[in-house]
Amino acid sequence: MKLFHIVLIVTMVLSLAGCNRSSQKQQQRLHLFAWSEYVPQEVIDGFTKQTGIPVDYEVYDSNEKMLTKLLSSPAHYDLIQPSEYMVEHLIKRGLLEPIDQSAIPNVSNLLPEYRNPEYDPGMKYSVPYMAGTVGIVFNSDKIKDPIRGYQDVFQPKYAGRIIALDDNREIVSWALDAKGIDINDVTPANLTKVKPLLADWLKLVKIFNSDDPKPQLFSGDVDLGVVYCGDAAKLIEQDKKFKYVLPAEGAHRFIDNLCIPKDAPDKQAAEAFINYILRPEVSKIISDKFPYTNPNGAARKLLTPQQLANPASYPPESVHLEIFHDIGKANADISQLMTELRNGR
Amino acid sequence: MEHMVEVQSVRKQFGNFVAVDGVDLNVRAGEFLTLLGPSGCGKTTLLRMISGFETPTQGTIFLAGRDVTRLPPYRRDVNQVFQSYALFPHLNVWKNIAFGLRMKRVPSATIKQRVQQAIGLVSLVGFEHRKPSELSGGQKQRVALARALVCEPKVLLLDEPLAALDAKLRRAMQVELKRLQSRLGITFIFVTHDQDEALVMSDRIAVVNAGKIEQIGTVGEVYRQPKTRFVADFLGAANVLSVQVLSDNGMTARLSCDDSLVISARSGQLEPGSTATICIRPEKIRVSRSRPSGDCAFEAIVGECLFRGSSHQVQLTTGDESLIATIPCQGENDRPFAPGEKVFCQIESDDVIVLDSANRHSIEAPGTPRSQERQEVK
Amino acid sequence: MPQAVAIQPALNVRRPGWRGWGLFAPMVAWLALFVVAPTAILLVYSFFTGEGIGEVDTHFTLENYRRIFKPVYLDLFWRSIVYAGATTILCAMIGYPVAWYIGRAPASRRGKLLMLVMIPFMTSFLIRTYAWFTILHEHGLLNGFLESAHLIPTVFSHPLNILYTPTAVMIALVYTYLPFMILPIYTSVEKLDPSLIEAAADLGAGPTRSFFRVILPLTWPGAAAGILMVFVPAIAMFAVTKIMSGGHIRLIGDEIQEQFEGGGDLPFGSALGMALLILFLVTYWISAGRSAKVLRGT
Ligand SMILES: Nc1ncnc2c1ncn2[C@@H]1O[C@H](COP(=O)(O)OP(=O)(O)O)[C@@H](O)[C@H]1O
Ligand SMILES: [Mg+2]
Repeated sequence: MKLFHIVLIVTMVLSLAGCNRSSQKQQQRLHLFAWSEYVPQEVIDGFTKQTGIPVDYEVYDSNEKMLTKLLSSPAHYDLIQPSEYMVEHLIKRGLLEPIDQSAIPNVSNLLPEYRNPEYDPGMKYSVPYMAGTVGIVFNSDKIKDPIRGYQDVFQPKYAGRIIALDDNREIVSWALDAKGIDINDVTPANLTKVKPLLADWLKLVKIFNSDDPKPQLFSGDVDLGVVYCGDAAKLIEQDKKFKYVLPAEGAHRFIDNLCIPKDAPDKQAAEAFINYILRPEVSKIISDKFPYTNPNGAARKLLTPQQLANPASYPPESVHLEIFHDIGKANADISQLMTELRNGR
Repeated sequence: MEHMVEVQSVRKQFGNFVAVDGVDLNVRAGEFLTLLGPSGCGKTTLLRMISGFETPTQGTIFLAGRDVTRLPPYRRDVNQVFQSYALFPHLNVWKNIAFGLRMKRVPSATIKQRVQQAIGLVSLVGFEHRKPSELSGGQKQRVALARALVCEPKVLLLDEPLAALDAKLRRAMQVELKRLQSRLGITFIFVTHDQDEALVMSDRIAVVNAGKIEQIGTVGEVYRQPKTRFVADFLGAANVLSVQVLSDNGMTARLSCDDSLVISARSGQLEPGSTATICIRPEKIRVSRSRPSGDCAFEAIVGECLFRGSSHQVQLTTGDESLIATIPCQGENDRPFAPGEKVFCQIESDDVIVLDSANRHSIEAPGTPRSQERQEVK
Repeated sequence: MPQAVAIQPALNVRRPGWRGWGLFAPMVAWLALFVVAPTAILLVYSFFTGEGIGEVDTHFTLENYRRIFKPVYLDLFWRSIVYAGATTILCAMIGYPVAWYIGRAPASRRGKLLMLVMIPFMTSFLIRTYAWFTILHEHGLLNGFLESAHLIPTVFSHPLNILYTPTAVMIALVYTYLPFMILPIYTSVEKLDPSLIEAAADLGAGPTRSFFRVILPLTWPGAAAGILMVFVPAIAMFAVTKIMSGGHIRLIGDEIQEQFEGGGDLPFGSALGMALLILFLVTYWISAGRSAKVLRGT
């Protein structure tokens, strides 16, 4: 009876935890591990049709989850899609395979400003996929006062009407920006400085959601929030009442890349895929589906004027933008601070 | 004499099925009344209406003069001994017995004393801390009895409480129960389908058939003067014959089965020329080789002859009728008669029971002194 | 009166032969592979030091366990216990009558009723959770129903705002774990001899006392199993809490997930996991002890 209980409980815990780790090796197969809602199925199908290489497509919803899984399944994935600070981290730990640019002639389609990123000078290990910003979206039917920055969003009068990304480092970076502190200067002293501000802000938020804030904004459950520009761009495409603003205090700019992890089983297939998505007409499909900032100059030429005029995808260059850097152990400090603050409710 | 339980025109229906069909029954204070009948006749249902587990479809039940028809079981001053005993498996013997007193919020000192007494009464001293699973069938039975008795109910209901015991233990418990009842003076309503059990224990027996009471009376009455064929059949073996009434002079009636068999009976104001049903107990037929003197003797041929320990059971044929007689064993003789032998039979007119042709229910038997009666029976 | 000898429980303990062990072996292997090994790994990791995202320094330290005792994490544990406890109590209060009803229903109908309890569990738990979204949403089915029944604005002055509140979390938790309460209680109720309930009533116990003195003690093994099967996984629940509360309520399970997957600190996550395991064992120990007590009738 006792044993039975234990077994039952363990089974339940395991099944609730959802352990779906099963994969086997096969010949000529591209194991793509990418962000959810980021690579159109059309593009994947097109690649398979073009090259005859089938694609195993797995998704994640944070760089850190990707890393955890990458480390626990060595020599399994051929292609991953880390953001800039994660590329920096992976390079530092020697977890990436150098990319042979001669196998990817389409890199020439990339705009010059994307070809020499500070986190990977000379694109030795990474090729930009899409870029974007984290900014403010609001429903102008409901919000009549001007919204220029974080301080305008996190006001008591908007309590319970705000949505925010469910990402600790992001949220902390907004407060750092609001206090005029460099978003990569995550020190205990600086965290202490922003703590009261964060405590006030978090109380006002109704929903924390990184996956997809669009339905809640669309249905009017919330009226404003801080989101990824791609989601904002889609909202604007559907209804012009939604506005996108880059916070005046400064904003986080991200660049997501395609990288080949160390010991990838099929490097050629991975390079073929990178080359394929850099084709202008393929890259256009990605922009159509996920309207982030496209780093592909040749593809941008194919976009409609409306797409290029979407302020969420292609914002004016007036605001100070900064990318994230790898902050190492400071992540744990952020985690503890946020756990503390978010328990406060 | 005051009635402890009065059941008035009670009827119980399950869907379309009538389990108890208009029963009237009065039980006197301090008496041992048995509901006797075949399985499925409605005894349990009647008992459960008295204890409160079933509500009658029609009719009224009074307990000590108070209408309890719609009262839940826990508000009735009766207790039941269940056929399966229904001892609480999580409580030991002591706590099982104390349960009812605790529910009645009796002071704990009194509980202690009364439980101890009850345990003594059913000879279970030393078993107080056993769980029911550690008791034998007979011990469980006695715990169930003590648990009910300790509450000092006005009426104790027992639904075939001995059915699960083996024959020897059952006979011992019959005597024990009867003794307890006389000692405590509590009214017992006892359900059984076993006629011997009913005869041994009861003051009065109510014979139940198909949801109705066929006859009620003292043990002697129902045995010696069964009113219906069913009662005659159910209580002990009986020869039941259909007869023509030849004559009735107010004292004696002459009855005939066929030409060869003419017997006389005590008169029952029978219409000459009509038919009647009579019953003769097997032990009342005297069988002999020589023609007896006196009236009402007839010839018969011996069929099977079965040895029954203290008696022989002899099958007899006379004309178209076949009868069964039991004759006591005498000497070492294994077979008093040989099959095919011609014998003479005689039946006293007092021993011929004329049955009612119609069924009658709930006939209050005249109060015959009971102690005397019982000895005659067994 | 003949003094019948009490029956002694037979001592029929047999030693299993090799055949018995052979049958048992897959079970042992399963336990070793999926219970013992992961736990051992967790234990070892919990004494290492986290070095940034996913990196580990393998020098022995007790720092992770010290960190658990910071008020932040003690709070988290406490909140998890409170939510799991409330879930267990509500599940018991709803589950017991349901299990009772099913267990007392005619045998022919019991199977169907049990099916009804199980049906929602044939879909994914995420789908079930999102189904609650459509119901509890500000413009969802519940408020739609209340409006069309004119209960808004008569009884409730404005649409109910249940989603993203602790109430929503409780609804989802209770909904998720209710069958784990119903099934074991049902098993006990079904086995309960109805004549025992009649005996209690016969001896003067009204419905309430009959329940607490007879029915509950006799169905306690089922109730205890139900409590365990709800409380233990509910403490470790994650995702559902986060989804239903809009990310406001995070329990210990969410924190562990964050440490493992959200770029936190693997050794610290392991230490939290070990602490949770100890909590499970304590819960099990208490409830097992309590069951034994009830069965002894003390
Ligand atoms: N709860 C019930 N539902 C339907 N029929 C019942 C119920 N209880 C008893 N009966 C029926 O009523 C009849 C009498 O039953 P019962 O009183 O138990 O008989 P007895 O105790 O004389 O053997 C039986 O035919 C039985 O099937
Ligand atoms: Mg019966």
